[in-house]
Amino acid sequence: MKKAISLIAALSIMIGCAGCGNSSSTADAGSKAEESKAESAAESKDESSDEAVSGDKQLINLYAFTDEVPNMCKKYAETHPDFDAKYQIKVTQIPTTNGEYQPALDQALQNGGVDMFAAEAAFVKKYTQGDAAKYVASYEDLGIADVDQKIKDAEIAQYTVEIGTNPDGKVAGLGYQATGGAFIYRRSIAQDVFGTDDPAKVKDEIGPGWDKFWEAAAKLKEKGYGIVSGDGDVWHAVENSSSTGWLNDDGKLVIDPKREEFFDISKKLKDNGWHNDTRDWTDAWYADMRDQSGANADGEADVKTADTKKIFGYFGPAWLINYTIVKQVNGEKKGEGTFGDWAVTEPPIGFFWGGTWVLGTKDCKAKEGVAELIEWITLDTTDDGLQYKWANGTLYGANGTKDAVASSVVMKKSDGKVDMLDGQNMFDVFVPANANANGKTLTQYDEDINLIWRDQVRMYTSGQKTKEEAIADFKQKVQDDLDIESAD
Amino acid sequence: MAVRKQKGGEIAFTVFQYVVCIFIAVICLMPFIIMLINATRSSNSIMASAISFVPGKDLMTNYSVFEGKSFNPWTGFLNSVIISVGATACTIYFSTLTAYAIVAYDWKARKAFFMLIMCVLMIPSQVTAIGFFQFMYKIGLVNSFIPMILPSIAAPSVVFFMRQYMQPSLSMDIVQSARIDGAGEFRIFNQIVLPLMKPAMATQAIFAFVASWNALFLPSILLIDREKWTMPIMVSQLAGDMYKTEYGAVYLGLVMTVLPLFVVYFVLSKYIIAGVALGGVKE
Amino acid sequence: MSNSQRHLKGLSYAKYGYMFALPFIIIFLIFSLYPTLYTMFIGFTDMKGVGNETHLLEQPFENFKSILNNQSFIQSLKNTVKIWVMNFVPQMGLALLLTAWFTSRTSKLKGKGFFKVVFYMPNIITAATIAILFNTLFGYPKGPVNQLMMSWGLTNTATDFFTSKSASQNIVAFIQFWTWFGNTMIMMISGVLGISPDIYEAADIDGANGVQTFFRITLPNLKTIMLYTLITSMIGGLNMFEIPLLFNNGGPDGATTTASVFIYKQAFKGKQLFAKAAAASMILFVIICILSAILFWIMRDKDAIAAEKLRKEERKRRKQKQIGEV
Repeated sequence: MKKAISLIAALSIMIGCAGCGNSSSTADAGSKAEESKAESAAESKDESSDEAVSGDKQLINLYAFTDEVPNMCKKYAETHPDFDAKYQIKVTQIPTTNGEYQPALDQALQNGGVDMFAAEAAFVKKYTQGDAAKYVASYEDLGIADVDQKIKDAEIAQYTVEIGTNPDGKVAGLGYQATGGAFIYRRSIAQDVFGTDDPAKVKDEIGPGWDKFWEAAAKLKEKGYGIVSGDGDVWHAVENSSSTGWLNDDGKLVIDPKREEFFDISKKLKDNGWHNDTRDWTDAWYADMRDQSGANADGEADVKTADTKKIFGYFGPAWLINYTIVKQVNGEKKGEGTFGDWAVTEPPIGFFWGGTWVLGTKDCKAKEGVAELIEWITLDTTDDGLQYKWANGTLYGANGTKDAVASSVVMKKSDGKVDMLDGQNMFDVFVPANANANGKTLTQYDEDINLIWRDQVRMYTSGQKTKEEAIADFKQKVQDDLDIESAD
Repeated sequence: MAVRKQKGGEIAFTVFQYVVCIFIAVICLMPFIIMLINATRSSNSIMASAISFVPGKDLMTNYSVFEGKSFNPWTGFLNSVIISVGATACTIYFSTLTAYAIVAYDWKARKAFFMLIMCVLMIPSQVTAIGFFQFMYKIGLVNSFIPMILPSIAAPSVVFFMRQYMQPSLSMDIVQSARIDGAGEFRIFNQIVLPLMKPAMATQAIFAFVASWNALFLPSILLIDREKWTMPIMVSQLAGDMYKTEYGAVYLGLVMTVLPLFVVYFVLSKYIIAGVALGGVKE
Repeated sequence: MSNSQRHLKGLSYAKYGYMFALPFIIIFLIFSLYPTLYTMFIGFTDMKGVGNETHLLEQPFENFKSILNNQSFIQSLKNTVKIWVMNFVPQMGLALLLTAWFTSRTSKLKGKGFFKVVFYMPNIITAATIAILFNTLFGYPKGPVNQLMMSWGLTNTATDFFTSKSASQNIVAFIQFWTWFGNTMIMMISGVLGISPDIYEAADIDGANGVQTFFRITLPNLKTIMLYTLITSMIGGLNMFEIPLLFNNGGPDGATTTASVFIYKQAFKGKQLFAKAAAASMILFVIICILSAILFWIMRDKDAIAAEKLRKEERKRRKQKQIGEV
């Protein structure tokens, strides 16, 4: 015991000394030396690994959290021999699942080991406007000419640009997807309850505004349906339709009245039994995309209990249909499972959800190559551009997955008809949907604050806390976890 | 009469033991069965019902997902084997050596050294991680297996265990008699002490191997190059692609991750189960 | 005392002690002590976020003060202790029971090897997998556990385990218990195997039954191993991280946020408050140090006393044996 104490004492003295010796100037010099060391180490490492592959190709270090952007770049190199002769793309792909992507990316950014990277809506503002913005070059600095004009010509949704604009007012990141949201609903249920499955008419049944939406929910309830799967579906719409975000200009926490209203919305949904009380991205949430009574492809009974309802629809952008719902419907053509029994229409309030932004760094050593890639991905509106192929599902051969893209010009000339929506051209809905979205409410801490918020809302709806207690705890937790004070 | 009663009681007790053990065994085996079966089922049917006792027919379909995703189980396997075997060997050998230094020799700093080990044992691993990562980045040990293997030479918890195990069971008489026979200290350790420690080493080897094989956080931050990825990183990569979730393939990946552990476990468990008692001179 | 022995005594073997401990010391200094000191140092700075300049704080203990006033941190400490106790008590109980059964010489139980192998198996799977698996099992409203409970008529409506604080804490404690009881059991068994068979033989001759042997011989001799298990489990418990994080992300309402989850979130989420995380971990470190020191001290004393007693008893027994033989 005595020894332990003396040891700790000794250690703390050592720390103290380390502290006194570490005046700011030496610290700076040290960190610079470290940086250069790390850089040289990174370079030598790169050289050694690429010697066998390429003689004098320039290296592009690409960081991404899914294989989407890396595959695009590979495709570009395949189809552009000039580019392929000059550059070698080295992909570092780290999933965001357990939060490994950001620490690794941040370290690599500090050491200058990144030329180009992808960032998701949940954290992109950190790299365009937040702490890490200092490492990111504007598109102009990368060498892309007339960025603003090109954005205008491509008719890229305003929120995409807002999110990607750095503190100097220059664009430093753009997406290729458009993630403006729609309401994605089941045609058969619409037919049963509203007597029509026409998106133009269903639009008026569920909106505009929440009041109309609740009316629709009540109607659906009468016939035994739930309007959404869980309150999370509604949250995405509420979150990105409010006029202020979680932080005010002073960086203090504020709760927008529209967001505060989510307490009542969530409670209303639960008390009235208008949903199945699922959470997004859980098995139960996925299961609601299938038919309740339907067995799945293998003939096994679905995991459903007696009190769950068939669900009318989901709030979401195009990717939710084409990457998520389509995988859950137990079918590949109309008549199988719920495939083809879907349609999209204008949501009661405009919102957006998710998206990937592409950024280049200030330390980038292959600026021309990165600029070429970024321009092709985000600004090229020709039929050879990434977005045209992405929108029409032709990037990797015919009949690929179609998705909404950032450029409205591309969307307008693309064919958004998908069998999943029974031949509906989804771009008719998603092009205007982008205009409703507002990128100003996003903050770099959204992911964390939202988790705390939704948690406290659940405490309220499950009857464990009053609304006032939940809001007070929410503020306390944000203060504790994120060191963000409440504005009031 | 009394004897028969006792026998009846004994049988009842044995039956009770079986019931308890079998019940616990079922609870322990459940996830493995679920994992194995789900590896053969399609992602769709898994999402419909996570638990099924009927194997599906999609094993090869699930495997083909790996190919499409540049998931190379064999590279991952090899990397994991190199790291885990290296780390386990380092941990076991050097921890025993260190424990021997504490138990067998009377050196001045011994007690302080042991206290130090005790203290290190208690450092929350989560946060030294911050310092550790920054240090590794500084000295350029990214994409290297060294940060995964070398630090395991200093495994305080294993040293502690070895010391606790060695203290009562190592007889200095043997050491002394070996010295009289003219054996060097290092040879005494390798040829006499190590064999004595086999049961403890086997136990700790399993723990060390499992821990090293399953490690995800540290390797996933330090091993950036695809070619250097370990099995768990590859599996988490599959699961991390949230837009295109392939549950069947994830389960298959998990099974492939666990299989080598089974092999190692069954090989080493021999020592534990056979009940190798400590040999040598008894008190 | 013979000549050679005197000669041996004259030799100093101390240098071998230093030599054999050297690899450990070197590696420890580089890969463990330095990062730890560095982390400690961070606790006195304002390090946060990415690439911000780091300065020493004017008031060196600002971070420590702020963390000690942080309600969520205090809550996380309470949670950690609660969950650890809920898992450790039954874990140790079951492990001891199974150890008694499996090492008993009179037991008729067959297939012990099989059971041992199986019981340890939960410890093999990656914590991440276990957490995800249990998350599925307890799914709401349609998870298998809910399904079973409703089909057996235990409840009428589905239970949302993830919004119930006590349910979440219980499940996390259960997962910990389930993962670690086999490990503890094997540790105990290998400890029993380390006990000299002579003692058991002596007990057999004295006609001690299984229960008596277990309580009089096995248990006292297991003290060191139990101490080890207790300390590692306590430290493991205070470092409990992957399962609460991945099972329910430390929720609901922070009920499964352990100290390590708190630290991880401070450092790697949101604002990346490295300095505060470092301060919190040092506070945790001190707490663990104090607890372990107390524990070690208590247990070691008793252990020595017990060993002394045992030696005396044995001596007595041997004497009696000799007398009997004579």
